[in-house]
Order: sequence, then C-alpha cells, then structure tokens
Amino acid sequence: MRGLLILSVLLGAVFGKEDFVGHQVLRISAADEAQVQKVTELEYLEHLQLDFWRGPAQPGTPIDVRVPFSSVQAVKVFLEAHGIEYTIMIEDVQSLLDEEQEQIFAFQTRASSTDTFSYATYHTLDEIYGFMDMLVAEHPQLVSKLQIGSTYEGRPIYVLKFSTGGNNRPAIWIDTGIHSREWVTQASGIWFAKKITQDYGQDPALTSILDNMDIFLEIVTNPDGFAFTHTKNRLWRKTRSITPGSSCIGVDPNRNWDAGFGKAGASNNPCSETYHGKFANSETEVKSIVDFVKSHGNIKAFISIHSYSQLLLYPYGYTTEPASDHNELDQLAKSAVTALASLYGTKFKYGSIIKAIYRASGGTIDWTYNQGIKYSYTFELRDTGRYGFLLPASQIIPTAQETWLALKTIMEYTMNHPY
Amino acid sequence: MQPRRQLLLAPGPGGPRPTAPMFALLLLLALQGAAAAPAGFAGSAGSEDSGWRQDPELQSGLLQQAARAALHFFNFRAGSPSALRVVSAVQQGRAWVNSKNERKVDLVFTTERYNPEEGEERLGKCSARVFFRNEKPRPAINITCTRFVEKSKRQQEDYLLYKHMKQLKTPLDVVSIPDSHGHIDPSLRPIWELAFLGGSYVMWEKTTQFSHYYLAQLSSLKQWKTNDNAIDFDYTVLLHEFPTQEIIPCRIHLVWYPGKPLKVKYHCHGLQTPEEASGIEEGSAVAPTELSNF
Repeated sequence: MRGLLILSVLLGAVFGKEDFVGHQVLRISAADEAQVQKVTELEYLEHLQLDFWRGPAQPGTPIDVRVPFSSVQAVKVFLEAHGIEYTIMIEDVQSLLDEEQEQIFAFQTRASSTDTFSYATYHTLDEIYGFMDMLVAEHPQLVSKLQIGSTYEGRPIYVLKFSTGGNNRPAIWIDTGIHSREWVTQASGIWFAKKITQDYGQDPALTSILDNMDIFLEIVTNPDGFAFTHTKNRLWRKTRSITPGSSCIGVDPNRNWDAGFGKAGASNNPCSETYHGKFANSETEVKSIVDFVKSHGNIKAFISIHSYSQLLLYPYGYTTEPASDHNELDQLAKSAVTALASLYGTKFKYGSIIKAIYRASGGTIDWTYNQGIKYSYTFELRDTGRYGFLLPASQIIPTAQETWLALKTIMEYTMNHPY
Repeated sequence: MQPRRQLLLAPGPGGPRPTAPMFALLLLLALQGAAAAPAGFAGSAGSEDSGWRQDPELQSGLLQQAARAALHFFNFRAGSPSALRVVSAVQQGRAWVNSKNERKVDLVFTTERYNPEEGEERLGKCSARVFFRNEKPRPAINITCTRFVEKSKRQQEDYLLYKHMKQLKTPLDVVSIPDSHGHIDPSLRPIWELAFLGGSYVMWEKTTQFSHYYLAQLSSLKQWKTNDNAIDFDYTVLLHEFPTQEIIPCRIHLVWYPGKPLKVKYHCHGLQTPEEASGIEEGSAVAPTELSNF
C-alpha cells in the first residue's frame, strides 16, 4: 500500500507537479455481480479521473480507488444511490504523503551543513565526525582537523584546531567526552566549535583571543567508550581496553595520567569505574594527548570538561597540598562561575578537586598543571543529580551557552596574563 | 524513630503560611530550643555528653551529604510520588564529632520540587538532624519541612497518579526511563516518580558519611495485580554512587496506595562482576532479600 502511494507520487512528479490535496481513497465492497458491474461503469467515466489501486474483480474482494477532490462528492452519491458499501481508507492523501516525507527526513537526514545541523539533540560518533568535516570545509581558513592518535579499538582521535595564523602560538586546549557517558559534554563541544566560527570577526573578545592564540578542541576524547554508550551501555564511563588477566574491560581515563598515579583516589581493581590502569598513560586515548601537549610545548590553558555536579575545579585531586597558584586559580574560577551564572542563574561551586569533590589521583589537570600549564581547570556541567548523565536534550544548548561564558572568561584571562 | 518536632510544622491545610519574618522567628526559636532543651530533640544539648565536640573542620561536603540523606528519608516517609523534593541549597549547619568518629549534623536547607511545574519556582524549607555512624550506612534522621504543596492538592495529584497507573496496560513494555536522550514520555512520568519514591528509601539506607547516590535510570519494570488495589511494582533502578562512580543495579519491590505508608523491599548488586554487563540481566531466581517494613 505504501508502495502504491509512493508510486503515485512518483507518477505525479513525472507528469508535472501534481498534488493530492483532498484526494480520498475509498474501499468499496461490492456485494454481488451487479454491484461489481456498477463500479466498473465508474471506471469508464474519464472525467472523474479515478485511479483504481485495486480494480473491480469478484464480489467480496475489496475495490480500492483514489478519488480526486473534485469527484469525491459525485462518486459517493453514486455509490450510496446504488446501495454499494464503502469506507474511507485515506481521508486526505496529501497529508499522508507529507507525514511520510517528514518521517523519511527524520530518519535519514544528514545535515548538509553546520547551519542545518541539530545542536539541540544528541548525536552518534559518525554524525559528530561528519560535523567536524563540514565545519572544516566551511571555514578552511580558520579550522583544521588533526588526528592525534587512534583508540584502543582503532578509531581515529581527532582534534579541531582554530587558528588565524602565526607559528605555534600560545594555545588553549579544551576537551569534552573523556568519560563517554557524560553526553552533554560532547554535545557542548560541538556547539563550542560552531560558536567559535560564528563569533570570529563578530565578537570582540573571541576575535582578540583568536588573533593572539590558537584553540584546540577535542570533542570526542573517548571514541570507543562513546560508541559503546550508543550501542550497548548508555552509562559506560571508561575506555574499552582489555586488561590482561581480567575479564573486566576499560580504564578510567581520568585516573590514568602521570600525577599521583596509583595513589589513593583511584582503584587498582580492573572491574572498578575508577580503575587507573596498569601504568600511567597505558591508555592510548590519554597518551595521545600527553604526546600532543609535550610536543606543542606552548599550551597556556587546559580545560577538561565533564558532567555532572556543576563545579569548576582546579588542581590538586591527588594531594591536599594547595597548588602554588591556588589563590589566582581560585579568583579566576570565581569570575568564571559568575559569568556562567549570569545567563540562566545556574549555580556552580568551585575549588580544588580534593576539596570540592573528592580525592582523585592520576587526573588530567593535575598532570597538565605539573607540566607548567598554569590555568588548568576541570568543569563538571549540569545538572546536580536530577537527571545526571541522562540530561534532557533540551538542556544542551543552554548548558553550552552558559559554559561558553565561563570558558571565554578563562581564555581572556589567559591571553591577558602571559607567562 | 524520634518523634517529630511539632514547632516547625506549618499551620494545617487551608491555614495561612507564616510570613518570612515569622518563619525566621519560629526557626530561631526552634534552633535555640534545640540547643537548650535537654530532652525532646534527639539529645541535642547532650552535645556536651556522649563525647560530642564541635567538628573543627566542617566541610561543606558534609552538609550536602546530610541534606541529601535527610531528603531521601523525608521523601520515603512522605510516601507521595507527586510531592518529591530535591535539595536546593544548604543555608546553615553545624556538626559535632565523637570519639567513635561518628558525626551529628544539624542543618537548614531549601528544597525544590523534583518535578517542577511550568514556571513554578517555589522553595520549601527543611530543618534536620542527621547522625552518621562513621562508615556505616543508614544514617538516623530527624527532619521537618514546611509544607509547600497543599495537602489536599497533593492527595489529589497522588490519586490521579494512582488512577493513571491503574489504567496502564499490563504487562508494561518499559525499557528505559529516561531514555538515552534524557527523555521521559509524559505518559510514563508517573511510573518514574513512583520508582523514584521507592529508590529514595534505598538511597537513604545506603548513604554513609562518605557515599551518596543519585537515581540514574529505571531499567526494567513489572507491574503486578493486587487484591486490595494497591500498586505493586517490581523494578530495577540504576543508582549512581559517589565517590566511586559505580553504577549499582537495585531490584526493588514496592507496594503503594495513596495516603498509605510505602512498603519497600530491595536488593542491590555489589561491584560489577567480571562478566561484560551490556545491560543488567536479572535472573528470575534473584529474589529481594532485604526486608524493610513489610
């Protein structure tokens, strides 16, 4: 039946723009030979322009006919006058076609540009990688895509570089999705990428930042884990590496860095969500970033984004000893969360990792800070537990918007305080 | 269970709410009373005896911890899926610690509706005393909260929820609530709220001074018929545990009738078994074993 509908549409298209507004499809039950005959007579009345999908045959077999709007009355009167039973199978053919089209689009649509890409919904890994390519294609002067490594399962690890020139300029690093179940972070990363391309040349602050610094953005920092959250387990956190000697899979990529590695604040049980791995940087997803940061040598701010809890954190997580730049980091954090709250009133707390959340060893920003990247921060985005990891898609854009204000605060400050 | 402290209850249904200054006065009196009175409010002034000394480094984390635990307990005891609350902000708190490293926390905090209606921004207020028994779970809780939904309205909403669930076609074909995108179909919302209510009991019982929980997802559900028309749910929720970050599946069996105390049995799994968990497979042989107040 669907096939017939599509066929009509195709035919309509072939024969010029035909639309089917008000057309009805009737199912006629001819009770006997005489009635079948009567319906056959209708067939010969060309001016009615009837389109029999199932022509008159035996009594008892249904007769299906598409009736153009202009003939509907006449046909019904005819059938009723002769006591021939019928039902209306389709009230309005055009509405049905329209609905179908929508559904086809809903299922299939690959956005053809970053302007038609849907930012208010969660995407698959393929869709995100497709988005990156589109963004680069649309802004080749500003954006490029680097592959910094491959995942355990062999997926490419990509970083977007936003640069207006120069040679190894001081840079800002932002990563999202290191814990794969924290979906609002990858979704925000996509939004940030687009935002940068929109605001360069429009927003004075962002323009100034990019005229002086580069921005590196790794949207899917844990691609294997992310793919797994789509296919098998929405709440998967770790990488997907196999641990020899255990049947449990995965290492917590935020316990695998070489800062207090293996100390209290991580687990040595491979089945645990905070398993630190056999040794620091055992995970390629982590090692790739380490190698990149070391070889770049000029990263001045490093921001790693997680969810949830609504926190802005600075080092350390593996020790209670305050970072030597503690006061400055605290002040900057305060400004950043104030900027964030200015948009929708979303309240963030801030502080060192160990004080504001819990002891955690082998964490990303503890390592980057110890490397000399002074402005090292971790965000925990919305919410505070009501939805947790399963944050409704309707909150993606507001979350990204408010977080962006905090990011800009940090980036601007970094630019204005070279070291 | 300690008797509820009457002073802080709002006037009965239909009565006027205390105005803010009035409430502040009541609160002040209550807290002062709590400090001075030797009996009644959970041995409060016995801060001097049983070796309680003021906690020297009161961490804000402890107050948050206490607020969450207290509210889980409150939600469970209220037994009202349409009146669930979440912590909004801790306003004030004090803590004492004893030689056994147990902690006693007095606090005042604001609450919001778990399921806020359009544009609704009202905050409720609770005062609570929470006893954490070092690393042991199931903190003892004494809590009173202002009423911020009229009792009759709450009863009405509970009853609507109840009727809605009675009409659901069993067996329910429920996979995950919320789905991966955080979406809950409006027709399934009551199920989620009732599941959350049962989950509150579990989360209260599992909370320690150091661990706390959120309800991540409802992963399976079976609804049974009962002779007395109560709602009988047999379901599995996934709890998100801090600070371990573990996802803990808990099988819960609850029986609920509007206005009656909630009955809950549950069984939670330990650390992930080495088998690949691609979803939580529950054998039918697994029976809830921990009896609570059945």
